[in-house]
Amino acid sequence: MGVLLGLVRPDAGKILVDGNTIRPGKQFKERLGYLPEAAAFAPNLTGKQVLRFFARARGVDSSRVVEVLNIVQLTDGSSRSVRGYSRGMIQRLGIAVAILTEPELLILDEPTGGLDQEGLSVIWAIIREWQERGRFILLASHDLVLMEKRVQQVVMLADGKIRAKGSPEELRSRAMLPIRVHFTLDPADPKADSLVKAVEGLGDCVPRRTDSRMVTEIAPDRLLSLLALQPMFNGTVTGVRIEEPGFDAVYESVLEVSP
Amino acid sequence: MMRVGRALVRHEFQERIRDRWVAVVSIVFMLMASGVTLYSRNAAESAITLTGPSLVTLASMLVPLVALILGHDVICGERDRHTLGLLLSLPASAGEIVFAKVIGRVLALSISVSLGLGAAIILAEEGTRGALVSLVWPTVLLGAAFLTLGTFLSAVVKRPGTAASLAVVVWFLLVFFYDLGLLGLLVLTDGAFPSEAISGLVAANPAGLYRVEMMAQYAGPTGFEDLSIASFLPARGVSVAIWVAWTFGLTAVTALTLTRQRSLR
Repeated sequence: MGVLLGLVRPDAGKILVDGNTIRPGKQFKERLGYLPEAAAFAPNLTGKQVLRFFARARGVDSSRVVEVLNIVQLTDGSSRSVRGYSRGMIQRLGIAVAILTEPELLILDEPTGGLDQEGLSVIWAIIREWQERGRFILLASHDLVLMEKRVQQVVMLADGKIRAKGSPEELRSRAMLPIRVHFTLDPADPKADSLVKAVEGLGDCVPRRTDSRMVTEIAPDRLLSLLALQPMFNGTVTGVRIEEPGFDAVYESVLEVSP
Repeated sequence: MMRVGRALVRHEFQERIRDRWVAVVSIVFMLMASGVTLYSRNAAESAITLTGPSLVTLASMLVPLVALILGHDVICGERDRHTLGLLLSLPASAGEIVFAKVIGRVLALSISVSLGLGAAIILAEEGTRGALVSLVWPTVLLGAAFLTLGTFLSAVVKRPGTAASLAVVVWFLLVFFYDLGLLGLLVLTDGAFPSEAISGLVAANPAGLYRVEMMAQYAGPTGFEDLSIASFLPARGVSVAIWVAWTFGLTAVTALTLTRQRSLR
């Protein structure tokens, strides 16, 4: 991101955007919107003054300032000094700065940092809107679980190197992490013990049972064989919940297999 | 200046006004300049020969300090606040951004200087006011030179605290000890050090050049003969070149220093 923004001088390589080599100069920066990690602004200026400065610098009409304040739900606090803003409000002001020009390339560095639920809804709405318009968002985040459902491509980095890339689904399949299945049982039903034995019989499964619950983990490609047991124990099994591993576990697994 | 530069000049100026910096410095400068003027007005027969040089002495010490402090956090302050990256992501070169920030702050400084000297001008005798008005622009130029120097310091160090300490050291060196050092050099070499070189060194320091030029204006050539320092006054072209080097030249060096840094975040 730093290289793309012209903030870090690369040791080697080139920047390709849409297949064309670019230099992070003025022309390219006109196309960018940027939200830095832990965004910060002059504390003695109001939110509106901050936005007006960026609007003037970007050649954007001042009516857009009102619009983006509304989008990030900061209209009420916009006349107050940034000094009195919460972390979440500063982050939302940063998002407003980033989308001022409706840039074709939006760079978001840790956009969820410090955001409250209201702020998260704002960022999800913006990501969705940019995706619907077919625009590009480059996003860096440690919040893998939150991001998984909202991004189309993931590049996993460790020690400055690309370790894996693909859609979240592809990476999840590649990791082959066991899926946890929760069964709710009727404790009075005598067939409950037989169910435990049947699950053990599938091999690799070590079910743990309490009175009315049984939990087991199973490889994703064997999930169907486990679920196939359910009709045989109709009445014994009163509910099934499938829990996929979190995307953070996928990340750790991918790093382990691609050191 | 380009769009980003113009917006940044305004933003810098607005920020300085909002943080009451201009107000505080203006009041301090107004009080000191007024004090000096009132004292000179009552003490001298020909007020301009005392008021002018007294104000020059006051400005040559106070303005560089204020300007260095104003400039010390131009870059490292942004870095410390984590706002440098966002600023440099704007569609402008690092040079344009540095120039715009310096100009915005020089504008703020020029208001303080104008108010400070303005108070002195109002309190001065009627006949001397015109001569004192001519002090305003060179004093702003002196401030601009030291503000640029402060900005340079802010680009070469990482933390505002370090830059502030360096700024005070630079102020002591260039405003207090510089002339003493040159005097010491003359004493140590028993006058063997060429006087042209001494003149050149005096003029190379913006505080020295300001003092020499302003004293020449108020004391006149006769005063200089009496003081035997006529040779300190450089030719007009040289003087302009020195001021340009300290303001535009040093700002360009600061911008170059910034662009050569590996990481600007």
